[in-house]
Amino acid sequence: MNSLRRVLIGTAVASIVIGVGALLAIIGGKHNIHRGAYATLTLVIGWGFTGTGLYAWRRRPRSNIGPLMIAVGVSGMLKSFGFSNDSLIFTIGSLADVLIFALLIHLLLSFPSGRLESQVDRVLVGIAYFNATVVQLAIVLLTDAARDGCAQCPANPLLIDRTHAAAVINAAQIEVAVALQGAVVAILYRRWRDTTPSQRRGFAPVLTVGSLTFVLLMTQLIVEQSGVSSGISDGLTLALFGSLACLPFAFLIGLARFRFGQAEAVSSLVRHLGARRGGGGLRTALAQALGDPTLELAYWVPDQDAYVDAAGQVVHIDPPEAGRSATVIDNEGRRVAAIVHDADLAEERELVQAVGAAAALSLENERLDAELRARVEELHASRARIVAAGDAERRRVERDLHDGAQQRLMALGINLRLARDQLGGEAQEAAALLDASLDELNEATRELRELARGIHPAALTDRGLEAALNGLAARSPVPVQLVETPGERLPSSVESAVYFVVAEALTNVARYAQAHAASVTIVRRNGRVDVRVSDDGVGGADPAQGSGLRGLSDRVAALDGRLELTSRVGMGTTVRARIPCV
Amino acid sequence: MRVIIADDSVLLREGVTRLLEAAGFDVVGHAADREELMRKARAHKPDVAIIDIRMPPTHTDEGLQAARAIRQELPGTGVVVLSAHMEQAYALELLGDDAAGVGYLLKDRVSDGDRFADAVRRVAEGGSALDPEVVSQMLARRRIENPLDELTPREHEVLALMAEGRSNQAIAGLLVISERAVEKHVTSIFTKLDLRPAAEDHRRVLAVLAFVGR
Repeated sequence: MNSLRRVLIGTAVASIVIGVGALLAIIGGKHNIHRGAYATLTLVIGWGFTGTGLYAWRRRPRSNIGPLMIAVGVSGMLKSFGFSNDSLIFTIGSLADVLIFALLIHLLLSFPSGRLESQVDRVLVGIAYFNATVVQLAIVLLTDAARDGCAQCPANPLLIDRTHAAAVINAAQIEVAVALQGAVVAILYRRWRDTTPSQRRGFAPVLTVGSLTFVLLMTQLIVEQSGVSSGISDGLTLALFGSLACLPFAFLIGLARFRFGQAEAVSSLVRHLGARRGGGGLRTALAQALGDPTLELAYWVPDQDAYVDAAGQVVHIDPPEAGRSATVIDNEGRRVAAIVHDADLAEERELVQAVGAAAALSLENERLDAELRARVEELHASRARIVAAGDAERRRVERDLHDGAQQRLMALGINLRLARDQLGGEAQEAAALLDASLDELNEATRELRELARGIHPAALTDRGLEAALNGLAARSPVPVQLVETPGERLPSSVESAVYFVVAEALTNVARYAQAHAASVTIVRRNGRVDVRVSDDGVGGADPAQGSGLRGLSDRVAALDGRLELTSRVGMGTTVRARIPCV
Repeated sequence: MRVIIADDSVLLREGVTRLLEAAGFDVVGHAADREELMRKARAHKPDVAIIDIRMPPTHTDEGLQAARAIRQELPGTGVVVLSAHMEQAYALELLGDDAAGVGYLLKDRVSDGDRFADAVRRVAEGGSALDPEVVSQMLARRRIENPLDELTPREHEVLALMAEGRSNQAIAGLLVISERAVEKHVTSIFTKLDLRPAAEDHRRVLAVLAFVGR
């Protein structure tokens, strides 16, 4: 903050110097009345705005309000250089004569955020600046105040030409100014009407005094143009200056009221927290208390060493996104949560901490909820991983059986065969033994083959569901009709699950259903796979019985799917599975 | 009869070689993967190639693809595909539209010396050989209103042997009946199952398979 301090101190010193200069200009100048009043008002306006601007700039370094107020103050003091007799200083004052009003328009339209939010605002401010700088320059170049009736005014060193143009431009400038100010007053009124009652108390002083200032200015300009007595015009000018002088104080009063309002919000938050039940209630209450609708909550989960949101999903708060900032809330020495809010709030650190502390207990509750949800997410993912690992393991076992044991048995069979063939007619007993061994071996390989298929059919991996299901249907003692199968390959975990569901269902049909026929339908649509195995048997199957189907239920659930059994007595049985499959 | 044997397992290559040589075949080449098989087949142009369905690099169905390639490129070479599993789908895919010079056997069949050599010889001579277990599974598939129920037990036996690709003479020998009797049974079967009559043995295999697929 060192560089900011230096800038602030430098600005403060400069404004004091300019103020003194303005004072001298007014006192020393001979061409006006009410010198004392003008001197006082100028200094009050100048130093009032500069002082308040410096304060605002220090509190919110990134907001434009501070610098704008300082600019208003400085331009007010520069304006009074127009009282001077020295032609250079007088010229400076003339050039800066109406700049203060353009700056004022900018300040009031961008209050309180410091930014011009809408296109209309930006256009008005643009016109105001143009009117106060370029047009003003044109007027200064074309006018000689001394010749135009101001007897004690010094000569104009920049004078170019003295034509009717100056008067026309001047009139146009005034009309534009009046129109602008009218528009600004209308906008300020609308903003005042649209603020919430709690915000209004903070904004009202500034909006009221600002509007009053502009109304006075408009009136004064109209009166001056219409050429009515200069006394009224002077009186209006003094009143205008007086109103302007009050503006910095209106700003300070508004700020005090705002802080007070926030303290009230915190205590009402504490009162309401007891009644609120989780969900979005806490977040809304905090957002209201801190006046930041973009506020988000992130809960700390020690197990995962990370923050999660209300749904249990991990969120990253470090480093924060642009324009956002996070305040960590502890409870009894343990980290509970972080409040992610607008970066501007970071300067109100004590307030955010106070609010966080008040809400700590509720935050802890919500943190536990979020932690629970995060655990569920983790369990879900881990279950899916386990099922996938199981499938991979089974495929590996099947492959190992094929490559290892089955090969050896086949080679054994060949050798036995060869040995058998070499025996002549004499070794009857040996020949019989070998024949018996060959038969046993064939049985063994057959069983091994069935075992491998039961573990994981090779056709399922190599050829897909239709081939594997055909194999199932072929071996089923009850006629099975494959009504429909998906035309394309599906993810292997889905294919395994579908295959084993159908296999188990058909086993049950063969064992219990006493059915004449069964049908298998598998359809892929709408991001999921629908499996349906029905039979026309006796029905009455108990869904709770049979660990076979329950195990499948788990496997299907691990894929986020559902398994259902419908079986009314006498109406057959249907096993249905739905598995998401994008 | 000249044979090439393709299998990535040394055990099996050696075993099959000895069996076939004992049965009078001339083993002219070995191969451990698809590339080697294609090279040697093109070089030696054997009468038949014995191919394991699972070979490197992916160990899924390289053998099947190689068999198809050989059938296209070398029409004079028969292929016998050996599989550790009886998968109907593979058999149907292999036979496709033309069962001449094609065989699909379970690896177990290898140790059943006579039947194995017999099947290989059939394929080398341009016929077909479908593993009996594959055939029995296909025919055993239960259907509602199964036309197969109309066949007599003897006709079932003849049907199964027909589906394996055997000739009438071979069937007569196996069932110990006269060839005329076999012809009568065959005609009866074709009528009862409403199959298109087929002259050659390998066409009969297709006819039965087509029936099974209905």
